Amino acid sequence: MSAGGSGGGAAEAIPQNKLIAFGAAGGLIAIYLSYFMVQLAGPAFSFIGALGAICAIVWGAAAVRRVANYGLGTGVPSIGMLSLGMGIVAAMFGLAVGGIAGPVVAFVTAMIIGLVIGILANRVIGMGIPIMEQSTTEIAGAGTLAIIGLSTAMTGTFMFDVILTEIVATGYIALIFIVAGIAILHPFNANLGPDEKQDRTLSTGFEKGAIAMVMAGIVSAVSAGASAAPTIVIGLAIWYVSFSQYWNYVLRDAYDVVGTGLLPKEEEESE
Amino acid sequence: MIDIAGVLAANFLYVILITLGGVLVSGSVHFVPVGGAPAAMAQATGIGTGTVQLAAGAGLTGLVTAGAMLNVTDSIALILAAGMVGAMIMIGVTMMVGNLVYVYGVGVPPASAKVDYDPITKDRQDIYVSQGTEGHGLPTVSFVSGIIGGGLGGIGGALVYYSLMSIANGMASADFIGLAAIFAVGIFFVNAVIPSYNIGGTIEGFHDPKFKKWPKAVVTSLIVTFMCAIVSVITIGGL
Repeated sequence: MSAGGSGGGAAEAIPQNKLIAFGAAGGLIAIYLSYFMVQLAGPAFSFIGALGAICAIVWGAAAVRRVANYGLGTGVPSIGMLSLGMGIVAAMFGLAVGGIAGPVVAFVTAMIIGLVIGILANRVIGMGIPIMEQSTTEIAGAGTLAIIGLSTAMTGTFMFDVILTEIVATGYIALIFIVAGIAILHPFNANLGPDEKQDRTLSTGFEKGAIAMVMAGIVSAVSAGASAAPTIVIGLAIWYVSFSQYWNYVLRDAYDVVGTGLLPKEEEESE
Repeated sequence: MIDIAGVLAANFLYVILITLGGVLVSGSVHFVPVGGAPAAMAQATGIGTGTVQLAAGAGLTGLVTAGAMLNVTDSIALILAAGMVGAMIMIGVTMMVGNLVYVYGVGVPPASAKVDYDPITKDRQDIYVSQGTEGHGLPTVSFVSGIIGGGLGGIGGALVYYSLMSIANGMASADFIGLAAIFAVGIFFVNAVIPSYNIGGTIEGFHDPKFKKWPKAVVTSLIVTFMCAIVSVITIGGL
């Protein structure tokens, strides 16, 4: 039902602008770097695309955290699914028409669709969330970059003819859809509540992104343009580091939880 | 470079049909009795999960049945009917099993808290509503409403998929089916989320006061799906 949270803005240690830069610039740079490194130095560098996807996923998770903290009126997962719904349409369009500019075209298209949804959500549906427009724009962009980043890690390229035969026709696109979607929506959904902390939520984002990276690595084992081993090994390493960090944050935030015991005896008997 | 204007002019009918399909999906969600977490604890009327999951389930079932029908016929009426029936069965079974759990598992009578008398059976509702709850289970009116919603959503999903599959292009058929299916899924999810923000959590069906808010979701879906339709028609038609 309700998304929980305070109904106000979310407290944050890292300002959202830094996360936008981290996700958008990091994601795009890694996707292009992956493409050119695979062209120049061989398929072993396809893993960089998945690093871009992780940047985008963390950014998306931070944006979900900010907007869902206002209480969406329905579950947090809805906005993650919205993100990937917009993302998949924009990603396929951008890669199909853009050629080498594909990721940028897809990114811009997604943000335009996201902005329109945000404006309509506030003006027509009347959700009354002050950061709705900005957040849907960010979330759409993050979803698109996550899809393209994972596709690039799986195939070593973002050229649409390869993506079409190796990702879309094989059905791996459905895997990307659900894995990236869960990676974006799950961090806040798992940590929400009165003691939600930004760093703990984002460390979950890194961890879920690493799982998506490992899965992209497994898929890339059947692709000629990508190499599975580096993606899986680096993915596992990132997963281990981020999960350890998450565990540390859980211990840090939970140290003063005390047991209250069972219900008092009298109250049990009075029933 | 793709001849964008040419592709759009040749396929403008499909842009309209995709938009119509998206709007149908968006409208259909308002019929489905959604109870969310409270219903999962038998404290509200409806199915105990979120709008998006139910709409996605119904729509994707409609998409699968429509896709199966597309193998054997080109008739749009048969394909839409297959999508409609597939989604109705999915929602119908979900609601029936839900009711079995509520009645025989939890031990509550299906009752609506939004109306005193069931608009269909005229059965009294208010005396069966447990104190401190918003109703529970799926009374007849919610069940019928859910079946209507499933049907509309299935037609919408099938219409989007059929329209995408009708666009002329130069792709191999496996590539084309994959691309059309994933576009349909993307458009479907967007149109499942928009009405769930409009409803805001729970709705019992067409007798619920919240049902009157549907025009807001339909207007939003109309604009958003139109954009998505143009983008997907250009992509598929240009390849």
